[in-house]
Amino acid sequence: MDALNNLLSTVGDAIANLIYSLLGKNPGADFAIAMLAAILICTAAALGFMALTWMERKLVARIQDRVGPNQAGPYGLLQPIADGVKMFTKEDSTPRDADRPVYNLAPLIIAIFALATYAVIPFAPRVVGTNLNIGVFYVVAIGSASTIAILMAGWGSNNKYSLLGAFRTVAQLVGYEVPMLLNILPVVMLTGSMSLIDVINKQTTQNGGAGIPFILMLPLSAVVFIISGIAETGRSPFDLLEAESEIVAGFHVEYSGMKFALFFLGEYVNTLAISLVFVTLFLGGYAGPEILPGYVWLLLKVGVVLAFLMWLRGTLPRVRVDQLMNFNWKFLVPMSLINILAVAFLSKIFVTTAGAQTANGGILVHPIIQTIILGGTGMFILVMGLWLVARRTRALRLAEEQTLAERRAQNMATAASLK
Amino acid sequence: MTFGQILFILFGLVTIIAAVMVVVRRNLFHAALFLVLSFFGVAALYVLLEAYFFAAAQVLVYVGAISILIIFAVMLTRGVMGGQSGNSQWREAAVICGILLVGLVGLLSPVAINFLGRNFGGLQWRIAGGAAGLPVVSEQILANLGMGFVDLNQYALPFVLSGVLILLAMVGAIWVARERHPAEVLAERKQIAAELAADAAAEAITTPEVAPTEQHAH
Repeated sequence: MDALNNLLSTVGDAIANLIYSLLGKNPGADFAIAMLAAILICTAAALGFMALTWMERKLVARIQDRVGPNQAGPYGLLQPIADGVKMFTKEDSTPRDADRPVYNLAPLIIAIFALATYAVIPFAPRVVGTNLNIGVFYVVAIGSASTIAILMAGWGSNNKYSLLGAFRTVAQLVGYEVPMLLNILPVVMLTGSMSLIDVINKQTTQNGGAGIPFILMLPLSAVVFIISGIAETGRSPFDLLEAESEIVAGFHVEYSGMKFALFFLGEYVNTLAISLVFVTLFLGGYAGPEILPGYVWLLLKVGVVLAFLMWLRGTLPRVRVDQLMNFNWKFLVPMSLINILAVAFLSKIFVTTAGAQTANGGILVHPIIQTIILGGTGMFILVMGLWLVARRTRALRLAEEQTLAERRAQNMATAASLK
Repeated sequence: MTFGQILFILFGLVTIIAAVMVVVRRNLFHAALFLVLSFFGVAALYVLLEAYFFAAAQVLVYVGAISILIIFAVMLTRGVMGGQSGNSQWREAAVICGILLVGLVGLLSPVAINFLGRNFGGLQWRIAGGAAGLPVVSEQILANLGMGFVDLNQYALPFVLSGVLILLAMVGAIWVARERHPAEVLAERKQIAAELAADAAAEAITTPEVAPTEQHAH
């Protein structure tokens, strides 16, 4: 069982020792190991991309009462490979008036930024690219930088629809970064560290943590984080940047062949990364009961989150631009700000360790009681926010109905006077 | 040369060349993209200094936000695609900048320069803290400073309040730029017109000899 539990780290150590025995312990060998690890992580992400396309097509097909891919291999499992071959053999066309260097660089930069996120995500104990002490911040910074690549694609294509898509993208990505950051903050406040490994440790019982996943403590943060995560990756129902029925395909309308595949890869790898970050921040990452190895727990949790995202994609219609902005700035952001204040005060008033109590005062409670208090407050804020929105929406709808009725009465009166 | 030094030179070159390209390129969009590259180079230099938080903040703020703003401004400006977009006074500006640069270099030069009968520069460059070298700031002091801003028991409240101040400014900006109901705008225009008329009437009463025809027109 132990061998199974530590499978990934054992294999990694074996490879590292092999390289050391071949090259000797010197910086060159360290560099070779780092390069190999980076290649392995990128390959894992690309494999995840392939699995994700298959899973998405199958699941969305089920939701829409279709079968999905079923010709290539058993259950259509080889469909991603067929898609890859198709992409490779397609003609690579460039618009005549395109800004060539910008046009060609954009898909590369998107793919690079999408893969860069994986450098800090812990896959199993000791299996992590690098344990940065600012891991969470790094993820957000990299995510915000990929906006540039989309702007480059939209501009470089020299196409009105592309440019419109790029503009929409920027408004959406820059806007939804705010609630995303605001809801990572409570997790960082409760953990006292921005390292993703520390966040996981806080959610286990081993290293001074309470063994309670943060989704129970911070339900509002989890909900808003996953919503803004969907918006950040530009998935349905927030797929305004590539709305097929409005602006053809947005910023990547002019791309074909491998360049289009790179955009596709960037989108799915980003989705996978957001799910991994969500699982790490709110569901305890690779931590779980010791009946299964850590990486299996991680895979299971990510699978559940991805299925949730696909369920949303299959069932929700696309939001309008004004709805998108109102939802962000008038609902998510104020609620997140109130949530941050509540978490800051409550986590200081109700402390769980005697050390914290002697240092800063407060009421010493059991971790479960603290979870109930924090979770209850978060749910209360969420329900209050939803209630306010529902009331306002209802008032607006009634006002519109009244206006329509008045107009109809007026028209009838005019018609009667003309007779 | 160590690996770190090679990387430093590499990223330094990328930063400088990108910065030069920002000024040289005629295509404004390309210039903005080179600016982004330059920001990235600076972030990489921060990483080499082991200032990871600073590097991530650089990427988040400059690459993720400010450069997007710049690119937006560029895209909404006329004549970006190869149009002539230059300041007609660039020669004067170049001369002034050149003089300023020479003057600053002269002021800071370690060797005294005699110019028009006066000595400039000649600063004695010393390492603060005497011959022993740079004064060493202990890591603990820096860590305490950083913790002070985020620790709820220290300066978190003033820090958060300053953030609220910025939020207030943002809300004010949104209020100024808000979309207004046409009726509201009409009412405001009427009010302004009424005020102007009242002013004109008051002026006409105090100085009846000025423009009687205009008064009649009102």
